[in-house]
Amino acid sequence: MALLNIKDLHVNVAGKEIIRGIDLEIEEGRTAVIFGPNGSGKSTLMGAIAGLPGYDVTKGLIEYKGHDIKQLSTDDRARLGIGLSYQYPPAVKGVRLRTLLESMTSDREIIPEYADMLNLSGYLDRDINVGFSGGERKRSEVLQLMVQTPDLMLLDEPESGVDIENISIIANALKSLLEKEKPITKRTRSALIITHTGFILDYLRADVAHVIMNGRVLGCGSPSEIFEEIRLNGYSKCSNCFAEQFKENNIC
Amino acid sequence: MLKNNIDSNRLEVVGYDPTILSCGNFLVLDNDIAEISCNINGLHIYPLVKALEHIQHVRDNLFFKLVDKDKNDYTRKAFESDPVGYYIKVDPGIKLEEPVQAAFLLCTPDSTQIIHNIIELGDNSQLNIVNGCTTARHENRGRHIGITEIYLRKGSRLGYTMLHSWGADVEVFPFGVTEVEEKGRFISNYVGMTSVKKIVSYPVAYVKKQGSARFYSVIYARPESNFDMGAKAVLEGDEASGEIISRVVSEGGNVTSRQMLDGRVSGSLGHMECSGLMLNDHGVIHSIPELRGAHPDIHLSHEASVGRISTEELSYLMTRGLSEEQARALIIRGFLDIKIEGIPAKVQQLIDDAIERSISGTI
Repeated sequence: MALLNIKDLHVNVAGKEIIRGIDLEIEEGRTAVIFGPNGSGKSTLMGAIAGLPGYDVTKGLIEYKGHDIKQLSTDDRARLGIGLSYQYPPAVKGVRLRTLLESMTSDREIIPEYADMLNLSGYLDRDINVGFSGGERKRSEVLQLMVQTPDLMLLDEPESGVDIENISIIANALKSLLEKEKPITKRTRSALIITHTGFILDYLRADVAHVIMNGRVLGCGSPSEIFEEIRLNGYSKCSNCFAEQFKENNIC
Repeated sequence: MLKNNIDSNRLEVVGYDPTILSCGNFLVLDNDIAEISCNINGLHIYPLVKALEHIQHVRDNLFFKLVDKDKNDYTRKAFESDPVGYYIKVDPGIKLEEPVQAAFLLCTPDSTQIIHNIIELGDNSQLNIVNGCTTARHENRGRHIGITEIYLRKGSRLGYTMLHSWGADVEVFPFGVTEVEEKGRFISNYVGMTSVKKIVSYPVAYVKKQGSARFYSVIYARPESNFDMGAKAVLEGDEASGEIISRVVSEGGNVTSRQMLDGRVSGSLGHMECSGLMLNDHGVIHSIPELRGAHPDIHLSHEASVGRISTEELSYLMTRGLSEEQARALIIRGFLDIKIEGIPAKVQQLIDDAIERSISGTI
């Protein structure tokens, strides 16, 4: 059974239909990547899965661990094991990063350990994301995921705005979280990653890639082959060839 | 329990706990001094009435010299009453870390408590005072009038913390004026924790050359509460500085928050922040920040905001598994969390505890 099973999903944002009938499955222990041009609906899909306000599901199914979660609140979904790393996390003035992390776990000893792993020890007593650089925000997002230990991680451009050295730090933390050291059949945690640059894939192997355009999934296939196709020909030229490739090599 | 069946918990709520280490204690029940102690050489705590009787300097130079006795009906009433309160004096050069604890408890329903306190710090001395004001029972009605005159001599430093936990039917009218002499430092902290029928307070500090005055206030306004609070720093000596930080949460209460920085001479430096958070649509926060400059070589600034909790921040915390209630509480606690430089950890803890009490039970 798939960990996440999305069928014919339609999502409106501010009254406009952004997702127009998406089907997508993620198996337990697998890492999937989403490619798509700006405005194709990738972040909207993640917002809808996480249950963020303003993402109105008008039709379709979001099944997680065998249960339809569309009616669940954001926090209920988080407690069921869905974690979201924001593309643009907000600053929360007055709330220290440590305070948030301590409210997420009863095991406080892991907090300094994980913070050290992500070079964020000096940020624990600062307000969340206030004055953080782009890279610091992304590391803070991953730190929060490490404390939350979700079964399904939604990673919205985890490497954007991050320098090479810090991409490596982020990727290593995610690899640990996704149990990449284990054989694929023994892994229990899954991820859905949005990436434009593909840099994160140099460090973190994805099992499958999906291409989204105009609110629909064109199909799925090998992450490296699809990314190479996009890199060479772009999205607009390749929308048809993706479709052809997916028909011929349906590996999803 | 204290005498007269006063619940000591009411006093502990406002930071008065004689069992913890302090420089001295002063407790007033209604209009009677119930406890007074002073444990340190160089620190003097007298009932004001005794000080007026025996110390000519207090009579001639301190009593109603900063607060105008004719300012209004309340000050006139205070002037005409037998003075109840303390005269605290610190000798020059004496620096004390542990706070003096004082508390003013309104015990008798429908009574008026009139307090007059005078504080005088000698040159280069240092003191912290925690003043707690409360009623014996939360449901009590009554009125509290407070006169506070503070004299900070050259290079001295005072941390003056007020923790208020009044009853819902109590009216409170404090009048405070502080004179900060050259290189003196005045840090005023105010935490308003519970419902109060009405409180009107606008303390003023006159700051001389290279002195500083900093006012911090935290108000949690419950329904039916009416706060008209503020502070004013008059920078009248070269390079004097002022800071006013105000955090107001309205859970349905009405708060007028008035702040003023008045820069009169060269090098005046001041900043104020007035932030208001509305938890529902029943109360009003009226923030009135004022800057006045009377010299070209000054720098005064302010930030002011009134708004609700950001939906984006709320949902961000909820993606981490916090319920909406927990996320709101975290944001409100963070909003009210003021860390003040220059006060002892013990006083900061009292302030933190007071703020925590002001939030808990309502969210």
